[in-house]
Amino acid sequence: MAKPLETSANTQNEAAPAAPGLFSLLRPYAWTIALLVLLTVLGNALNLLVPQLIKHAIDTYTLGSFDLVRLVVEFSIVAAFIFIFTYGQNIVQVYASERVARDVRNRVSAKISVQPYEYIDRMGPGKLLTNLTSDVDAIKTFVSQAIAALISSGFLIIGASALLLLLNWRLALAVLAVVPVIAGTFYYVLGHVRKLFTRAQEAIDWLNAVISESILGSSLIRLLNSQQYEYQKFLAANAEAKDIGMSILRLFSSLIPVITLCTNLATLVILTLGGHFVIIGSMTLGDFTAFNSYLAILIFPILIIGFMSNIIAQASASYARIGRVLDAPDERKTGGVKAELRGDIEVKDVTVRFGEKVALKDVSFTVPAGRRTAIIGPTAAGKTQLLYLLTGLLAPASGSVSYDGRDINEYDKQDLHRQVGFVFQDSVMFNLSLRENIAFSNTVKDADIERAIRTAELADFIGALPDGLDTIVSERGTSLSGGQKQRVMLARALALNPRVLLLDDFTARVDAQTEKKILANVAENYPGITLVSVTQKIASVEAYDQILLLMEGELLARGTHEELLASSPEYVQILQSQKSTNQYELQA
Amino acid sequence: MNYKLKTADEAKEREKGVLATAVRRLVPLMRGEGRAVAVSFAAILVTAGSTLVAPILIARAVDQYIAGGDFRGVLVISGILLLIYLVGTVSNYIQVRTMGAVGRRVLFNLRNSIFNKLESLPVAFFNQNKAGDLISRINNDTDKLNQFFAQALMQFLSNFMLIAGAGVFLLAISARLGAAALVPAAVVLVLTQLLSPWVRRRSLASLRALGGMSGEIQESLNNFKVIVAFNRLDYFRDKFREANEANYAASVSAGVASNTFTPLYTLASTLAQLIVLAYGIYLISHGSFTIGLLIGFLLYVTSFYAPLRQLAAIWSSLQLALAGLDRISEVLALESDMRTVADAGAARVGDGSILAFESVTFRYEDSGKEVLRDVSFRLEKGKTYALVGPTGGGKTTTASLMARLYDPTAGTVYLDGRDIRSYEPAERAQRIGFILQEPFLFTGTVRDNILYGNEEYKDRNNEEVTDLLESANLHTLLSRFSEGLDTPVKSSGDGISLGQKQIIAFMRAALRRPDILILDEATANIDTVTEQLLEDILQKLPPETTRVIIAHRLNTIENADEIFFVNGGSVTQAGDMQHAVDLLLHGKRQS
Repeated sequence: MAKPLETSANTQNEAAPAAPGLFSLLRPYAWTIALLVLLTVLGNALNLLVPQLIKHAIDTYTLGSFDLVRLVVEFSIVAAFIFIFTYGQNIVQVYASERVARDVRNRVSAKISVQPYEYIDRMGPGKLLTNLTSDVDAIKTFVSQAIAALISSGFLIIGASALLLLLNWRLALAVLAVVPVIAGTFYYVLGHVRKLFTRAQEAIDWLNAVISESILGSSLIRLLNSQQYEYQKFLAANAEAKDIGMSILRLFSSLIPVITLCTNLATLVILTLGGHFVIIGSMTLGDFTAFNSYLAILIFPILIIGFMSNIIAQASASYARIGRVLDAPDERKTGGVKAELRGDIEVKDVTVRFGEKVALKDVSFTVPAGRRTAIIGPTAAGKTQLLYLLTGLLAPASGSVSYDGRDINEYDKQDLHRQVGFVFQDSVMFNLSLRENIAFSNTVKDADIERAIRTAELADFIGALPDGLDTIVSERGTSLSGGQKQRVMLARALALNPRVLLLDDFTARVDAQTEKKILANVAENYPGITLVSVTQKIASVEAYDQILLLMEGELLARGTHEELLASSPEYVQILQSQKSTNQYELQA
Repeated sequence: MNYKLKTADEAKEREKGVLATAVRRLVPLMRGEGRAVAVSFAAILVTAGSTLVAPILIARAVDQYIAGGDFRGVLVISGILLLIYLVGTVSNYIQVRTMGAVGRRVLFNLRNSIFNKLESLPVAFFNQNKAGDLISRINNDTDKLNQFFAQALMQFLSNFMLIAGAGVFLLAISARLGAAALVPAAVVLVLTQLLSPWVRRRSLASLRALGGMSGEIQESLNNFKVIVAFNRLDYFRDKFREANEANYAASVSAGVASNTFTPLYTLASTLAQLIVLAYGIYLISHGSFTIGLLIGFLLYVTSFYAPLRQLAAIWSSLQLALAGLDRISEVLALESDMRTVADAGAARVGDGSILAFESVTFRYEDSGKEVLRDVSFRLEKGKTYALVGPTGGGKTTTASLMARLYDPTAGTVYLDGRDIRSYEPAERAQRIGFILQEPFLFTGTVRDNILYGNEEYKDRNNEEVTDLLESANLHTLLSRFSEGLDTPVKSSGDGISLGQKQIIAFMRAALRRPDILILDEATANIDTVTEQLLEDILQKLPPETTRVIIAHRLNTIENADEIFFVNGGSVTQAGDMQHAVDLLLHGKRQS
């Protein structure tokens, strides 16, 4: 399998992330963040006090004015408050980060839910899943770790530097000389690591693709005994991930020792230079000790900022990806017309394109209300696309679709979907109860569900289940047979009491007898319904009011069975291919 | 066999000694890394040693030289320190490098073994678990381990060494003061032991909630067109919100739990400094300690507690990693119950049939529904069989048993006279072709998919493949694809029609020339003209090929030599076509 190219193209655009956007994300949480900052600053300020207390104790002791009780009291109070503030800070940052993550997820899902189907199809479900999981995680890490860490590190660096300078500015300057060296090392290493992180993410995407296909195609893989081949694919992706990991490691393994060495050199400077100052009497021993303590306080935040810059970069890249989803234009405004449909459909000069490929070319026809229309044609003729067009799942490149003489876009989309029932060709089942699979929501009345089930000839089947309608359907519907799934899909469409029913190859998985019964049920239980049915079987639609013959995206012929027999050689050919079946169908 | 993995609502946990468990669980993963671990261990020792020796030297410098006003001595000690620091830097580099590499390799092997395990499990496993949750296990959970191995493990070890070393020095310098300095540490360690199971339980619950949410998202996104067409976006937004809220609650609870360690350890560190300071000054005033030693001692207290605080942070990531490992282990612990039985002991029948069922009963593990009851029949070489029956009657299940996607609950399936379970998977796959009801395509090209799993032809170039297709009478089907063999296809998305998917599946199966070719509604969505073409191709298969056809369209089964009626747990011979039609029309309905 080739490595997905699109991801690399995408990620390259993300090299220059918009950090301000990331921080603007926090605006609604200003108070929480303020509390976080307050707790962090207070905790750190108190932390800076500790070496002062120690210095004071040692100095007073050498001077002979040491007060044990005062030391213990002061120190204990400081320790208690440090604990309270750190604990508070930790709790607040957990809440803040999880809330941000939850809200971003909700925003993304709300956005996705107003997008047209075509958008999801184009973006790919896998990519959106990544947006909702790992990208949100990166933002979460940013909020939980980076904000508090940046603030406290900044605070500590400034505070420790100031105190160092106050204690002894010459020694302080000598010690602070290591800071630019550490910063420079970080800048260099992280600059290189960032590119590798992008590649690492691509490798993970690749791994995901392999895993997900090997799960979804598990039956096929077992039938063909191609587990070894799948493993090879996985191995290639995994090896890539490992190699990138090793490259990252090479950079990082030089980073940490360099920083440690710098810190140690600073200690050395304190010892020699500071020792010199103590010896010549320009510095006390307490100051000397405090210097060492402040050095430890100073170095750690520098490391933190370095690592956080990386988290910020990752989070920015993730937020940029999420931003692209959030900024996607909303589905073009649909009209507000809510009207009970009669069911007259007109398709006029419609052309549909998928990239370069023309799926439908200048197709025009009308469907009279309350009548039955069949669409037949070879594989990949554009039959399914035509139905998608009628539901508004697909927008035509040119031409128009109208219901009752009014353009489809003028209708309130929700109201239209309620009145146009669509039974998809492939079975789509949710890991929910049968009732929820059929009704999808609590707004559908029980009587409607019951009628839909009866019409779809599912009553016996459901009645025989121990849990009846509350039986949970396993994911991808693996616990139902093909025909049962198809009929659940029909019941789902009928439960809405539609005025127009679109069937996509419904008969393919349902036996002739059941099909006949079901269609009779539909006619009886849903009088006046307009039926448009994509099918392969001419026999079952011979009596339809209209048959459309579609081939390679073009409408070749249109008319009743008899008319087509007389006018369309292609139709006759298709009929010939089914001839032998007919004697049985007639008897059935 | 039950392959159902635990999900969010079933969080239950066994608890034992935390650190011991961690070691026991993580060490086996590092098998074969002995040398690298030894090298980095030695490096850690050197690094830790160099870090620990420094404060002694500094204390010495303060006491002897700075206090004594001997700057030359200070310089000598500085020189020694510089040397020690340089050695420490080198060993630090070696330590990070080798241990990091160990982590990467462990992760690499772990991912491989979990994927390998996944591939070894039967279809039933995938039917019983959500795809999203499985993906989450392989990705998110191994990533938690990755983070641990890539970053935390090394810090964990070196911090551990530092702590141990600093502890030794503290006690060596002054046993009394040292013991006093360690009291807070002992208290928090006990607290850690007590809190860890709680933290881990919450982490595990949080990972499960994440898996559950991923599953939810995956399902909704993959079925988006239905959600749109049925105008149920609000409903699924609510369902997502519910999963999101559950995930939020679990994450907050896990976060609060794992964040208790850091403040506790900070507190312990501050208190330890106070104890040392107060007690130290007390000792000095009694003449049994010196200021220089106290300064050095305070440095050791810092070198003891700073890594301990880091350990606290790492401890959470260890808990998370262990929770992830738990979920991975759950998959790794599953064993396929569909092993290959020994050829020698395999049951045989000598009736010359290519495939036979003998008293086969089958029940799905998850639903417990009995689909076939005591079914026996035999298929002969070169004949065409049709399975008819109402939907839900058991046709697909019967076919799945023929291809050993499942093993019978009772009874035996014979392939060419031998228990089908005694065949090596490769041979079985070679002999049985099965075109599934729901065709699946891998992302790639038409060519990739036609040759998928085909060891024999996979390296042929396009012309050779076209010739092969021609000799198998399959080449005309290629014209259904705009760019022929190189037409790109995606495993998801609707860019390609169901009929086209079925054509690819047909070509893939027919090209392999199996002994038995099973078509499960395999042409249901293909137009009848193309279907006639497929029928011709089927007729032109080698005469010894046995065909098993499941279809609703009667024309596809009219050429069958024999028709079986499958319904209500039984498979009965229907005799001729007319009888089959009668059975279909008047037979008792199961669905």
